[in-house]
Amino acid sequence: MESRKPPPSALVDNHVVPGDVVLDLTEMTNQTIKLGAGLRQDCDTIQATSAGRLRLSKPNKYWVESSQKRYIPSVEDTVLGVVVDTKPDNFLVDIKGPNLAFLPVLAFEGGTRRNIPKFEIGTLIYARVVKANSIMNPELSCMDATGKAAEFGQLKDGYMFDTSTGLSRMLLSSPTCPVLEALGKKLSFEIAVGLNGRVWVNAPSPSNVIVVSNAIIKSESLSGIGQRSMVESLLERLS
Amino acid sequence: MDHHQRWHPTVNEREFIERALQSDLRVDGRRPFDFRRLKILFGREDGSAEVQLGDTRVMGYATAQLVQPYKDRPNEGTLAIFTEFSPMADPAFEPGRPGESAIELGRVVDRGLRESRAVDMESLCVVAGKHVWSVRVDLHILDNGGNLIDAANIAALAALSTFRRPECTVGGEDGQQVTVHDPEVRDPLPLTIHHLPIAVTFAYFGEGNIMVIDPTYKEEAVMGGRMTATINSNGDVCSIQKAGGEGVMSSVIMQCLRIASVKAADITSKIKNEVNSYTSAKALQKVKRLPASALKKDNAPDVAMKESSDGALETQSTKPSSDGQQIDKEPPSVVEDNKQEDVEPMLSECNPEAQSESRLTAGGSDETQEAISPKSLKDAVKPKHKIKKKQHSKS
Repeated sequence: MESRKPPPSALVDNHVVPGDVVLDLTEMTNQTIKLGAGLRQDCDTIQATSAGRLRLSKPNKYWVESSQKRYIPSVEDTVLGVVVDTKPDNFLVDIKGPNLAFLPVLAFEGGTRRNIPKFEIGTLIYARVVKANSIMNPELSCMDATGKAAEFGQLKDGYMFDTSTGLSRMLLSSPTCPVLEALGKKLSFEIAVGLNGRVWVNAPSPSNVIVVSNAIIKSESLSGIGQRSMVESLLERLS
Repeated sequence: MDHHQRWHPTVNEREFIERALQSDLRVDGRRPFDFRRLKILFGREDGSAEVQLGDTRVMGYATAQLVQPYKDRPNEGTLAIFTEFSPMADPAFEPGRPGESAIELGRVVDRGLRESRAVDMESLCVVAGKHVWSVRVDLHILDNGGNLIDAANIAALAALSTFRRPECTVGGEDGQQVTVHDPEVRDPLPLTIHHLPIAVTFAYFGEGNIMVIDPTYKEEAVMGGRMTATINSNGDVCSIQKAGGEGVMSSVIMQCLRIASVKAADITSKIKNEVNSYTSAKALQKVKRLPASALKKDNAPDVAMKESSDGALETQSTKPSSDGQQIDKEPPSVVEDNKQEDVEPMLSECNPEAQSESRLTAGGSDETQEAISPKSLKDAVKPKHKIKKKQHSKS
């Protein structure tokens, strides 16, 4: 590796559409770049294959971030899944992807054949994607990498609603996104965000749950300031 | 994989929706008897409308053709509703064969319109027993956000309200020859719609004690039963559809009907407002396009006019731009000077066409009268000599 740095693509943080040439490899020899979702190599060029915003993680990771209703599983994402069927070895879980995901019945903290959790159909589960490739069903786990339950598992009560994947990524971004910050100052609630575009909210009173969920749904197209003022006007109406 | 066939709510959603409803709260922040935001858009052509009711989107498209009437009703036109549930709207919809909900939706809309005789069928008759207009309304579900019936019904009404059928006359030796006039020659005619039957859907929860209006997709998945009342702004009940589900007390039904009649009045006025603003916008557009046909009517008296307005003409020709090409470039500045003149550039362009057309259509004189009638007042005021001027300078 030479010391000179690869010039970052001119399109970083800009919108790209399929077919856009993101990088020209002829100008960058002896360099390693890593491609994430929405990019592919075509001879000497790197092209976008999906529409969205091009991101770069220094020094060399590129991917395209887009907002969509359908979720493409990828390893280490935390997702909210709905149990649609139970099999002896696996729970079949809908994570809004092209295929149902498998959640092995033993993938719980201290899971053994003796204490298999009982999930009825329609149970909401917060889990982690551990295997994801396009030809097999993705696999989930309710343990973190060290085998602890962490926060994973069944979510009880509360209300779940669907968002776009872009909105759920915004909710998880740090620093805390304005809508959650503004809501959190006035209301107490629990929230679980899945990268697959599902959000679960729980609060003591149903009206708070409704306010929080509607504020989140409405915040998708708003700027930071817009989100704060929207939350304020919502809370005013509530009181 | 058949997990996309039908969407099931999670246990959490089911419980929460029901629990919130116990305290008259709905998950989208509405009160039990609020409709979602209704938006009606019209297409470029007459008879097409798109209705958005919250997340639900339905497109209605009305068309007509001449057919032979049914034997038992020789002097009545026909009206048919067709539904199209695209899998794009909801993964549960299968392409090709219409599902149970598609048939129910079509039937409810059809019944509301037809049984209440909302559309005047006799005025669709051209030659009794031979030719009548058959009106067809296609309802395309574009997005299923719940309560498709109400949205589709509004789409059908909006499409029918803006629909125009070509005018036709009966003539010939036997008096049976039907001539269908080109819309450019004779203005198409609207349908005669006596009243607007509005479908209002109620969803029942928890042994029928709790009811809400205009259920969303999620509420539909949780509800115990549903009833659709089709009612017009006068409060006449045109049809009621209650297909299975939770039983409901008759007193509750009466209460629903009272609520429905209020909602129907609201929606009727909304539809009428939207249709009116669409038709007036359309009429204004026409004014701009009409000159071509308006001109040909004026052709005969033209000569006299030109001569008489010679004085005016001269003042114009003193302008540096007496040549046709320059005139074409001129308009932008002219438009600023005088709004009435913004018709001019088009006039000079369409002129040759208009003249040739006027020769073709022999019975031009009274047609012109008809064509002019829908024009706005502004147009009527427009000084005629201005039109002539351009013509003259060009020729």
